[in-house]
Amino acid sequence: MATQLVKGNTAAVIGALYAGCDCYFGYPITPASEILQEASKYFPMLGRKFVQAESEEAAINMVYGAASAGHRVMTASSGPGISLKQEGISYLAGAELPCVIVDIMRAGPGLGNIGPEQGDYSQVVKGGGHGNYKNIVLAPNSVQEMCDMVIKGFELAFKYRNPVVVLADGVLGQMVESLQFPEVSVKPEIDTSWAVSGTPQTRENLVTSIFLDFNQLEEFNYEIQEKYETIEEEEVDYEDYMARDASIILVSYGISSRICRSAVDQARKEGINVGLFRPKTLFPFPKKELKEIAGSKECTFVSVEMSNGQMLEDIRLAIECSRPTSLVYRMGGNLITMDQVLERIREIAAGEE
Amino acid sequence: MVIMDDYGKFETAWCPGCGNFGILKAIKQALVDLDRSPDEVLIASGIGQSSKLPHYLRCNTFNGLHGRSLPPATGAKVANHELTVLAVTGDGDCYGEGGNHFLHTVRRNPDITMIVHDNQIYGLTKGQASPTSEIGMKTKVQTHGVFNMPLNPLSLAISLDCSFVSRGYAGNIPHLTKLIEKAIQHKGLSLVDVLQPCVSFNKLNTFKWYSERVYDIEEPGYELNDRVKAFEKSLEWGDRIPLGIFYVNEKPSFEEHIEVLESGPLYKNIPKTELVNKLIDGFI
Repeated sequence: MATQLVKGNTAAVIGALYAGCDCYFGYPITPASEILQEASKYFPMLGRKFVQAESEEAAINMVYGAASAGHRVMTASSGPGISLKQEGISYLAGAELPCVIVDIMRAGPGLGNIGPEQGDYSQVVKGGGHGNYKNIVLAPNSVQEMCDMVIKGFELAFKYRNPVVVLADGVLGQMVESLQFPEVSVKPEIDTSWAVSGTPQTRENLVTSIFLDFNQLEEFNYEIQEKYETIEEEEVDYEDYMARDASIILVSYGISSRICRSAVDQARKEGINVGLFRPKTLFPFPKKELKEIAGSKECTFVSVEMSNGQMLEDIRLAIECSRPTSLVYRMGGNLITMDQVLERIREIAAGEE
Repeated sequence: MVIMDDYGKFETAWCPGCGNFGILKAIKQALVDLDRSPDEVLIASGIGQSSKLPHYLRCNTFNGLHGRSLPPATGAKVANHELTVLAVTGDGDCYGEGGNHFLHTVRRNPDITMIVHDNQIYGLTKGQASPTSEIGMKTKVQTHGVFNMPLNPLSLAISLDCSFVSRGYAGNIPHLTKLIEKAIQHKGLSLVDVLQPCVSFNKLNTFKWYSERVYDIEEPGYELNDRVKAFEKSLEWGDRIPLGIFYVNEKPSFEEHIEVLESGPLYKNIPKTELVNKLIDGFI
């Protein structure tokens, strides 16, 4: 099996190509531009389609079009560009179309800067566009997972006919690690039961998100809620790093979780009973698992995130506020430090809550 | 009397040798020559290397969203039409992301001077083709060369009957300064498309490349109000590239259509709250 040193952004493109993605539409933005650049190189090389659009809105609507035709489509951007794509994402969800969107989060709000942050959590996990829809959201924390979760993303996008967002950040996009290349390459096939691919089989199909009849739209809304419930039952994924036997549970995803892992190792050496719970899916959020942990013993939860408590809310909801929670966070493009996390762990261990 | 120092001195984040320095200098010089003090001037920009320019001027500055320097400039002009309003933008910002705003601002014709840093490349994101990149230009994304037709901003503006259409060159600062002065003095939307060498990412359209090709359009018999002739002139590109004012059409500006502005800018005419009582009469 081939292993190479690659950037996280490149790994996302490699994942897409192995997942059978045959159309890429994008627009440059730091720190996600390498995805566009690598796609421009490798998609045509492997006989697939690539377009640099005139704007993020154009790119997501190209995704809308190609996804309607049944293709395996991807786009990528960063915070400000994801905000612009939200309109299109709502329509993709409304038309029940599969696609993968990679968000290499940068610091906001507004233009902010190009440093890493996790401030897109709410706009991606909670929907972001208008209407009662959900994105499936996967959260990698390594270059390997940048590749693997794009592949997983395509699998889920087609299984549920729903947009999937791979929610990464500036560090994950830019850093270089070893990547074990996938073993299987998916052959893209068009599902003629819903796609509008211009063949005799698909002539009756209609891709749309408009339902002029109120009752019909009401029924559709209930149907997609059922789909989201199934996703919540079937697709939760997380990593438990000594969380089940810990009295202090750090909850963290993405690059922050890497820092937390080091903090857990250090604190354990100091004899503090701490663990890390890392959601790998942010929607579906591992509510049941967190609730189980909360119900099993006296413990306290610490959300460690590079945003203003956006995930903390979901932790509280998951454990139904049954245990103390607190927040370690940093914003504005600077990374959380291990010391910052350790300090909080030591405070809790010393009973200074 | 206004002097250059009134507009401040700043460290910039532009590459050494960038064409943006020439444009910044020309804008400053034009404002000084027209004796506009910094408090009378508002500069709005979008996102891109061009759009950093307001950060390097001490006046009323606004740095907004990608592609969207013109809508806030229009908003500011409506709020206070006594201000000299400049919109600073770039080829990717204005002709790509904000293309729609460009079309409709031309139609609306607010008294705004648009200065477009046209370097035929995306500089801020390090070298992808822009809407004005030439066919065949190779970049890290367009590895086999650009194949989309470049957008011709001058032809587009003239076809929409933009009230002032011009092209300058960052390598000829005195000429560009005069052009910006005339654009500011013009009442209505004025477009100054500025050829701006990008020394880091555009190795094709260099200072040398432009300098060998540009010439001044000003010649006896060139009528500024001849739209067809101007359109024809705007198509000239390649071995010879015309600079200067291509087209002028004096017509009422957007602000002149807004009745409430006749008695002065909004900040001097705060609406009387008791007037809202009139509203209810309309519902009886």
